[in-house]
Amino acid sequence: MGRLDTSDAQTSRAPVHRPPLSIPKNRRWNRRTRRDAWVFAAFAAPNVLLILLFTYRPLVTNFYYSTLDWTLGAATATNVGLGNYVEFFTSPDASSVLGVTAIFTITTVGGAMILGLLVALALNQRLKGTTFARAVVFAPYVLSGVGVGLVWLFIFDPTYGVLSWILRTVGQASPQWVNDPKLALLMVIIVYVWKNLGYCAVVYLAGLQSVPAQLLEAASLDGASSLRRFTSVVLPLLSPTTFFLLITSLLSSLQAFDIIRIMTPSGNGTSTLIFDSYLQAFGSYNRAGYSAAISVVLFAGLLVMTAVQLRFVERKVHYS
Amino acid sequence: MSKTLSRKHFLGLAGASVTAVALAACGGPSTDAGSTSAKALSAEDWSKVKPAPSISFMSSHPGKSRDTEQKLIEAFQAANPDIKVNLITGGSNYEEVAQKFQTSQAGSEVPDVVVASDVWWFRYAVSGAILPINALLKAVNVSSSDYKSGLIADYEYSDQLWAVPYARSTPLFYFNKDHFKAAGVPERAPKTWEEFAEWAPRIKSANASASGYQNAYQYPAIAGYAGWTLQNVLWGQGGGWSKEWEITANSSQSVAAMQWVQDSIVKNGWAGVSSKNAITDLQAGAISATISSSADLAATLKAAKEANMRIDVGFLPGGSAAASQVCPTGGSGLVIASKTSPERQLAAAKFVTFMTNAQSTSTLSAATGYMPVAEAADISAIVAQTPEFQTVVDQLKETRTQDFARTFLPGGDQELAKAATRIMNEKADVQATLTELKGTLEAIYNKDVKPKLKS
Repeated sequence: MGRLDTSDAQTSRAPVHRPPLSIPKNRRWNRRTRRDAWVFAAFAAPNVLLILLFTYRPLVTNFYYSTLDWTLGAATATNVGLGNYVEFFTSPDASSVLGVTAIFTITTVGGAMILGLLVALALNQRLKGTTFARAVVFAPYVLSGVGVGLVWLFIFDPTYGVLSWILRTVGQASPQWVNDPKLALLMVIIVYVWKNLGYCAVVYLAGLQSVPAQLLEAASLDGASSLRRFTSVVLPLLSPTTFFLLITSLLSSLQAFDIIRIMTPSGNGTSTLIFDSYLQAFGSYNRAGYSAAISVVLFAGLLVMTAVQLRFVERKVHYS
Repeated sequence: MSKTLSRKHFLGLAGASVTAVALAACGGPSTDAGSTSAKALSAEDWSKVKPAPSISFMSSHPGKSRDTEQKLIEAFQAANPDIKVNLITGGSNYEEVAQKFQTSQAGSEVPDVVVASDVWWFRYAVSGAILPINALLKAVNVSSSDYKSGLIADYEYSDQLWAVPYARSTPLFYFNKDHFKAAGVPERAPKTWEEFAEWAPRIKSANASASGYQNAYQYPAIAGYAGWTLQNVLWGQGGGWSKEWEITANSSQSVAAMQWVQDSIVKNGWAGVSSKNAITDLQAGAISATISSSADLAATLKAAKEANMRIDVGFLPGGSAAASQVCPTGGSGLVIASKTSPERQLAAAKFVTFMTNAQSTSTLSAATGYMPVAEAADISAIVAQTPEFQTVVDQLKETRTQDFARTFLPGGDQELAKAATRIMNEKADVQATLTELKGTLEAIYNKDVKPKLKS
């Protein structure tokens, strides 16, 4: 399997009658190529430059900053090589941050996908009001994370919150959602899943609607139960959708920031990689170099996931 | 209208874009050890400088003082018609202002005057982001002796003055007199925490039936400066986070004090920890007492009046080892950025001295509850209007400079909050937690502070 040999291909076909050319072949080719190159450059250059300026330059600069012992705002810094990386991976906080990141990512991705699939199955029924229900389910996804965080913070408030009021009416005290680090993590996970399950539901719904009805009918005629039809026909046919959601949700969860920042500003129990990176630089530590190293660790994680996607998943995802 | 892009124009645009990329890449710190921050001019030099026509003031409007600050700015502009002040909201608290000010150092435009809390001015000074202001004060005919000596002294480092006191506070003991009366305990602040520990079970049981009632005492939210208010309990029992640069967080007295704190929540059950804002919990009637900044005084009394609730304030309680000098100062000062022109710095000096003069500080105190910072401030009118304000003035004489571990160590406050969370919320072993805290704070000191200290 190599490149297509165009000369062989042409000789194997029937001879094509070509009109005589008035301009020498080389000159015509060069002029067109040059013109196309200019057009290409004119269209692409501004975007390429913007991407270089606002995406790749910060990326490269961040790598450089990660090698510095730099206090945010200071005019000078000391080069420490890979010292920030060594410090991160040997610090007691690293295991906590990586653990919180893993718990947050797995539960939010898993929760949003499983609940999203269940909601999609419900919305796929031919019932009255499903169009309205779809809009309601999808709405949280397009809401601002800051607004969502503030409203849910009020709901969880152990003194004035709606949840606390409901618990009081049944004689129970409200848990200390913000003060207890484990509950704080659970709190942001609940809110993040609530916000994102609409996205999973809508994508799953599209997948469900593309499942051929004939296959389900055939399975029914063969005596397959609803559960069997779901596990043996629907779920396998949804695998491209599942893979797609898995990758996009993973990347999104690893970069989740707004809800965590609003609901737990000090990162009490909720310091994921990206939030710890923020706290180290812009919290009271001001360790910009160390923060840059953490964000490089996060970048490396995202890069590995993208590579996995390209290697194993892309071929299984159908976009049409 | 169509216009084709000529080759010349295209090359020009491309060149400009590449230059922009290259220039943008020039930001960031220098790794050249010889780089130094801007040098302050002497008093004689300042006499040759003409104040800039416009400066900016970045504030978090401490104590909900936005309107008051705007009023003071208008008064300043009336007195100095050649200088315009642009008030910038830098965030809702000192940390958000610090974040914006420090990030602005990477660019070319920095705010001229910034509100800096007790934990931030020192870091700005060490990193060279602010200017020492001794000569500037002299240039605008203001003396450091015009300020309350205990407050201005907080801003001295390396024989220089780095800020002037502005919205300075001290924590007060806020309590619900109705709850105290219902429990049959004296309607005053306790003299010591031991005395309150005797009252607390009675207060809690007397008010427990009220809807939403939680605790006799609520520790302030840990995210909201726990290290600040806990100093009171530590000092009362003879402990502390540190003694100057020596970390004493795990001394026997400090451990005993934090054990007492944990017992009040876990073992004795009359205290809790606020998840958001303890003073709001008090205003809601959910608790009977708490400690909060004097900056909350005006708003709390107003809310109590509207709710027909009797809330009063008193000195912070002492402890078994010390009954007095157990009240930390807090709040913020005004700093002047070093990365601006001398003209702007001189205008900034005129502005900060106006904002902190006797009349302005009285205005701010009346509107918020912050301590008057000028020696000449006349607070008789404020006390006549709000008698509770006398407590703030009286407690000022009893205040003590905060522990270095909280104010001067980068991330120190965050580490204290983490330890407090473990002890107060997670019921962790006090001795082990404080020993670990000591190690962390010492590591921060040795790495981030000691090498940068000027003798």
